[in-house]
Amino acid sequence: METPGITGLLTIAMLLPLSSTQWALSQERRTDSLVNKADTITKSTKPRILQEVQVSAGTFEASDKAKGASLTPIDAVTVAGSNNDLAQALRALPGAQQIGEREGLFVRGGSGEEAKQFIDGILVKNPNFPAVPGIPQYSRIDPFLFKGILFSTGGYSALYGQAMSSALILESIDIPEETEASFSLFPANTGLGFQRSADDGNSGYGINLAYSNHRFYNAVIPQAPEYFAGPSYLQGTAHFRVKTGDRGILKFYTNWNGSEVGLTQPDVNNPDHRSAYSVRGRNTYNNLSIVRYFGNNWKMDASGGYSFLRTVIHSDDNGHSDRDEHFAQLRTVFAKGFARNQAIRFGAEHFFTREAGTWEDRSVRFTDQLTAAFAEGDIYLTPQMAAKIGGRVEHSSALQRWAFAPRASLGYRLDADNQLNAAYGIFYQTPSSIYLYDHPELGFSRATHYIVNYTYKARNRFFRAEAYYKRYRGLLRTEPELATSGVGDAKGLEFFFRDKRTFTNLDYWVSYTFIDTKRQFLDYPELLKPTFAAPHTGTLAVKKFFPGLSTNINVSYAFASGRPYYDIASFSGSEGPTIRHAGTTRPYSVVNLHIAYLTSFFKLSKLKSFSGIGMGVNNLLGTKQVFGYSYSADGRHRQAISLPAPRYYYIGVFMSWGVDRRNDFMDNQLL
Amino acid sequence: MLVALIPVGGFAQQQGDPSALEQLVAKLDNATTVADYEALETQFVTLSAADEQWLPPYYAALCDANIGFLLEKEGERIEPYSDRGLEQLKEARSRIDTATQQKELAEVYVVASLLYRTKVFVNPMTMGRKYGPTAGKYLQLALQLDAGNPRAIYVDAWNKYYTPKAWGGDRKLAKELAQKSLALLAKEQQGVQPHWGVRENTALLND
Repeated sequence: METPGITGLLTIAMLLPLSSTQWALSQERRTDSLVNKADTITKSTKPRILQEVQVSAGTFEASDKAKGASLTPIDAVTVAGSNNDLAQALRALPGAQQIGEREGLFVRGGSGEEAKQFIDGILVKNPNFPAVPGIPQYSRIDPFLFKGILFSTGGYSALYGQAMSSALILESIDIPEETEASFSLFPANTGLGFQRSADDGNSGYGINLAYSNHRFYNAVIPQAPEYFAGPSYLQGTAHFRVKTGDRGILKFYTNWNGSEVGLTQPDVNNPDHRSAYSVRGRNTYNNLSIVRYFGNNWKMDASGGYSFLRTVIHSDDNGHSDRDEHFAQLRTVFAKGFARNQAIRFGAEHFFTREAGTWEDRSVRFTDQLTAAFAEGDIYLTPQMAAKIGGRVEHSSALQRWAFAPRASLGYRLDADNQLNAAYGIFYQTPSSIYLYDHPELGFSRATHYIVNYTYKARNRFFRAEAYYKRYRGLLRTEPELATSGVGDAKGLEFFFRDKRTFTNLDYWVSYTFIDTKRQFLDYPELLKPTFAAPHTGTLAVKKFFPGLSTNINVSYAFASGRPYYDIASFSGSEGPTIRHAGTTRPYSVVNLHIAYLTSFFKLSKLKSFSGIGMGVNNLLGTKQVFGYSYSADGRHRQAISLPAPRYYYIGVFMSWGVDRRNDFMDNQLL
Repeated sequence: MLVALIPVGGFAQQQGDPSALEQLVAKLDNATTVADYEALETQFVTLSAADEQWLPPYYAALCDANIGFLLEKEGERIEPYSDRGLEQLKEARSRIDTATQQKELAEVYVVASLLYRTKVFVNPMTMGRKYGPTAGKYLQLALQLDAGNPRAIYVDAWNKYYTPKAWGGDRKLAKELAQKSLALLAKEQQGVQPHWGVRENTALLND
């Protein structure tokens, strides 16, 4: 599926592997110049080798300040087949599994619920439109909103919590750089956008509207499910940002959307029938954040968020659900910097969750007040060694329990290009709310991470090897009774290599992930390899620009060895669940292709125009994918969980018109 | 290496002696490798402390710019040279009377354009958006001050040659500009004043 916000993807994908010189004619605000800085004689010239140690075990950072072969946010999100979903795009990095039947990130033996996304510190409770069995749903969050993406596959900072496997920490962009209107038209998606940057460059706002309806597309390209409603998605977003004081900024982002999907699929319990499933969702996500700098190297980040989700589900298999979820968060972090890149950060946050309505034909009501306090220090040990040590205390009113989570990581620079890192931490998570509606005596689930990592970063090449061990305790079990008594572990080895140097105008990376994991959770009668973890996973992402054709070709390939599947039968009484069938799926292999051609449809326009044609195919080779099997209640029939169609195609146009004021800002600085 | 044989410590005794600068500039004319430029840059910086002309720091900055271009594909390795070069260039600019020495200022801006271009090489996706336009702006300023500066014309040619057509590049025009630059360079005298560009234009024309 392609998302409504495809314009950004196509536009930016065009720009991806451009050679350095291709930016010559673009305009950008200058941040320094010969005349801006004091004309003092510099007696000691800067060293030729940068010296900082940055602790980085367990983390992939994509920053708008990236150098060499380090990832930028745009690198990360423009992997072919990412469907404009950041979580989907990050599956091209090591640690993440290739899960084709669900949205979300499945990291290092963890389920999708163990990975959380945060925007400017605020949890995104529902990053995707409401789930549909077997069909990943669009992301609600435009992946091009961010200037910094921190994808942690373990050992992340004490400033974040409630994610046992992975934290996706997103930092939104600041003031828009130009005033611009945009439009895109694809068979299944239409988008309109407008953003304005104030004349002085100190504030800006923008609005976007996107509508997606697959009815026409599904009529042309046959789908395995038969849709009786939608799929349709409507989304509006707005943002406002203003500088406050010298370096401070206030940002507000709001996102409103609705979706409807109704379909029937063959009923595994009755091969002559089809079972229906329909879901309607209404969601809003709002995020207000302010950054203020005080004297003496003090900084404050304060943010607040509110989100609401109404989900109405009619399912032949699971009954009727009509549930409202309210979520609010307040958070403040203070930081003070010291010499030698040292710093302390501390703060607190409060999460309020209320869910009420009907869930699978029963009335439910749930409230949780989760409070956390945290502190962390960046500590200089030697010129070659730095540490980050912190801790986090959490209390959940629903669980009526406290938890303390220590975190520590260490970086040791071997030389300018090579570094060793290590990380340790305990990560707690409240069980999914659907298990807490009846107020059972459940506790926090817990994962302990141990990570060692080696990185080589130099000369437009980046290599990373990481080994880890992860121990689970308190995993949720539903059989023989609801309890947080499950255990498990995961160990693995991961490699990543990116090379921007060898081939002109070609950027590629390869990754390999090995994992050995077992867990006893949900209805697993014993320690089992979970269905969402393949032992071997490899990805290749290639981006090639052809300057003469103004065309960008972007290909990704992913391979995963077979995933385990089980038919687990639950019996009443003391017998407990048993495994009736078990096996391993066929290996997963997928090639995705994305092509973008850049041109200008309005060459005579006084406004700067930028247009293009984008097209692509997901699962280009039409490989039959089997993600697992669902079994009938009696275990006599099974259905493969596969793609709704062998391939997904898209082609369309995108256009933008803008007044670029960045040259003006630059002139002001130069003269 | 011949460059390394120049007695750097001797500059203190040769304060103001133009022959030291001449000697280094002559070496610069024949430098080709990163090591050549690194050694020369160090010596120009040392000379800059003893010689108050704008040229020693200017040439130190030019060495850094040339290193950046030689390391175009080497990512983060480039940036320290870009930063060192800009520091030296600021020093050169501070030694110029901008009211009366407009041609000299144009020379400084040409090298500023080159140094900001080397910053783009560090990571075109992030640094390009930031520094590409700055490089363009300094070239514009140089051409405004001295439209007949053959080095400014060369940098203009380089930009047009290596920028894709869709983004305003024009290889035919780039070669015409390189020819024009060469013709102007042919009229310049060798010496300590900036006169580089023949090798660069020739390389572009032979690409």
